[in-house]
Amino acid sequence: MTREFEIFKDKIFALGNERKVDVQIICLAEREFQVRYQNGQQDQYTDAGKFRVQVQVLKDGKLGTSYTETLEDPEKVFMDALENISIVDTEDVEYFYDGSGDYPAILPYDGAFENLSVKQRIGFIEESEKVMRKDERIIGDWAVYGDRKREWRITNSLGLDVSFVSGGGFMYAVAIAKDVSPRSGSEFILGKKPEDIDPVFVGEGAREWAVKLIGSKSVKSGKYRVILLNEVFSDILGMLVSMISAENAHKNMSPLKGKIGEKVASEKLTIKDLPYHPLSISNLPFDTQGVPTREKIIIENGVFKMFLHNLKTAKKDGVEPTGNAYGTAILPINLVVEPGEKTFEQLLKQLGDGIVIINVEGLHSGANPISGNFSLSAKGLRVENGEITHGVEQITISGNFLELLKNIEELGTDVRATMGMASIVTPSVLVSELDIAGAIKE
Amino acid sequence: MIEKFDKGLVEELLGTVLRYGGDFAEIFVEDRYSTEIELRNGNVEQARTGRMFGVGIRGFLRDKAIYAYTNDLSRENLLQVARRVGEALGEVKLKDFVLNFDVAELKNRHVALLKPEQVRKDVKVGYMKRTYEAAKKYSPTIVQVQVRYWDYDQKVLIANSEGVYVTDNRVRTRLMITAVAAKDGQMETGFYGPGAGMGPEFLERIDVEQAGARAARIAVRMVDAEPAPAGRMTVVISNEFGGVIFHEAVGHALEASSVARGMSVFAGKLGQQIAAPCVSAVDDATIPNGWGSANVDDEGTPTQRTLLIENGILKGYLIDKLGSRRMGMPSTGSGRRQDYTFAPTSRMSNTFILPGDYHPEEIIASVEYGLYAKTMGGGSVNPATGEFNFAVNEGYLIEGGRITKPVKGATLIGKGFEVIQNIEMVGNDVARGQGMCGSYSGTIPADVGQPTIKVRDILVGGRNK
Repeated sequence: MTREFEIFKDKIFALGNERKVDVQIICLAEREFQVRYQNGQQDQYTDAGKFRVQVQVLKDGKLGTSYTETLEDPEKVFMDALENISIVDTEDVEYFYDGSGDYPAILPYDGAFENLSVKQRIGFIEESEKVMRKDERIIGDWAVYGDRKREWRITNSLGLDVSFVSGGGFMYAVAIAKDVSPRSGSEFILGKKPEDIDPVFVGEGAREWAVKLIGSKSVKSGKYRVILLNEVFSDILGMLVSMISAENAHKNMSPLKGKIGEKVASEKLTIKDLPYHPLSISNLPFDTQGVPTREKIIIENGVFKMFLHNLKTAKKDGVEPTGNAYGTAILPINLVVEPGEKTFEQLLKQLGDGIVIINVEGLHSGANPISGNFSLSAKGLRVENGEITHGVEQITISGNFLELLKNIEELGTDVRATMGMASIVTPSVLVSELDIAGAIKE
Repeated sequence: MIEKFDKGLVEELLGTVLRYGGDFAEIFVEDRYSTEIELRNGNVEQARTGRMFGVGIRGFLRDKAIYAYTNDLSRENLLQVARRVGEALGEVKLKDFVLNFDVAELKNRHVALLKPEQVRKDVKVGYMKRTYEAAKKYSPTIVQVQVRYWDYDQKVLIANSEGVYVTDNRVRTRLMITAVAAKDGQMETGFYGPGAGMGPEFLERIDVEQAGARAARIAVRMVDAEPAPAGRMTVVISNEFGGVIFHEAVGHALEASSVARGMSVFAGKLGQQIAAPCVSAVDDATIPNGWGSANVDDEGTPTQRTLLIENGILKGYLIDKLGSRRMGMPSTGSGRRQDYTFAPTSRMSNTFILPGDYHPEEIIASVEYGLYAKTMGGGSVNPATGEFNFAVNEGYLIEGGRITKPVKGATLIGKGFEVIQNIEMVGNDVARGQGMCGSYSGTIPADVGQPTIKVRDILVGGRNK
């Protein structure tokens, strides 16, 4: 594979030279292992690997792209990319990066999970299922264990040639509790090394969330004080990921357009983008254009400081590239919310009367990062006098993302990392007012 | 390239799996060429083509499955992958076996008149620009229009140790339009994404100007809308993409992946009344050139029309090969996957509620106060609890049997097994809309559909005054 790749690469570089165009090759090789069990029985098992090579051709500032998963015909791949340039008619100018500048020193993934036997990996699942079933009210469960390795190499005709290995493992479990209508609870964990994967934590978490929801009821519609649990706030922050893309701002598709230097959130809120976070399994020293990643403050004490850029948008705005290109998108490496000083219990006391939102669904359809409006199906726990009283089902939370950020009253210390479209690290937050629709009539 | 996998090599690979373990072996070879073009503000910003090529090898031992995929196609590596699958299954069941491949010719019911590569990209761009112009000129409040075009030509070879050896060619084309309207600092979006299981001739079959105007209409109506009311009310859901309610609320919970191990609220309910008597629904992967259609599923089983619900009574599930083993019921040709990097599982194809008796106007006239969900967005469901949610992208208030004003930001939530009991009227205007459905085996093209329906007592999530 390596030797074949070198031959392919040399051919693409030679073709670029012949045609007097710049070329760039992005190679991603992935290994994946995943097992899923349902009710104690193996349901799915995947052990696999693949690679994809993307060829980009740059001519007069216009970019054409073609990818392949077979190295047999470099000429066809090159010509496809070149042909794609012919239909590009935007006035935007694209660039390649020459590999200069300092790359942050981040240790690559050492492949530790690959040394585990299949038995050890399945052992994680069996352990968590055992823990979930310790409570006889649990009538169903499923659990997933997985690990993956991604090897990046990006090289171009300007002299860039960088490579990195990222990866890690994860577990996810869902427990179903018996009730008039079944209740589900879930828990997950990410890890850079096998010792980080704690199947007992995952199993207990899923079980306890499900059990806490037994006897859930809806609530009356109205405005409530809420705590958004860390993983829920993380889901909702997915909207910010889209809003801080300079590309989206240029295209009138971000409500943060023109708001640099303005107060857009509670002054308690500070959000950074970090190339490295100890809890993250997606730390990277460069983006997919080969530009070094670096620490940036996006929101500081509620004031919006900057957009994230790729090479094209940075040149357009006359700023330094930020190392946030991810294919055709612009994404943070690790979007990190600075924690506050209150433990979760202290947040509950401060909430007094309200709802802890523990799960939201429907983000891909119910959250619109262009308008900023969201309306999401949610589950939670009712809190009265600082104490949890019962589970809450069949409600929606609705609002505008930027209004929500302004209403953040307090942040917790309970920081967690999640992996969605981008890696996000955040504590739970207390929000002073949020619209909730419930099924209980006045 | 796919020709490399002749019967000799396929037999050797399947044989290798079984020599090391299992009682069933399967190979899936995929060669797919895709084109994506993105136009924003009238100019082409991105053009990308690409080729996926890889092989998935799967083995069963009773109802246990092992899957592996690779795109290192050297013979040594393929044999090694096959061996690993067999070893992971463990128990050797078949010592001496002979494979007799069934060489039945497949009739292609989903003919693409034009292959994606036969149509020049600038011709495709021409249609995209017409779409853009129509959306842009719909109203001065339209500030941004994005038009995306996507086509692919997927060739698959599927063979298994039961003697199946079949090739199929799936060609799909889709146009996706997002329009943004702005007024007084507020932005709202409209989306429309028609597609079909045919080649780029699709662009000529539909009216691209009308498609652009439709996305623009939604954005323009919504930027003028008030927030939707919150609470339980009667909801009239329009036809076509409105069928996403059945897809989410019921369809996913009828898939073998949830039913086989009792993780679905509909497990063990065949023959029982699970829906209001006015509800009948099917999954039909045989519709010629349908977005979710195919000649055979991704396990090589011929596709079919499966009756799911008849007059409210549960009649069938959606079953793949593994589900078939677990449930002791035949496959319904529902084994689907995004591509070779996913093991197939039971999935929907083109799923819709069958027409009923009422004209849509009669249905709206029967509602004293409620929500008219004209255009639905996507949604999701937890099949174990039946809890679903989805977004209303274009909504109107119904007052005194008449549509009175646009409302935005509504989300509908509920439990699938309750909501299908609460369907009170079914219209006669059945239509289908195109979507991408994500689940265990990846994201796949699927049609949803229904006539206009009236549902009582759905919880509408909106803003409180």
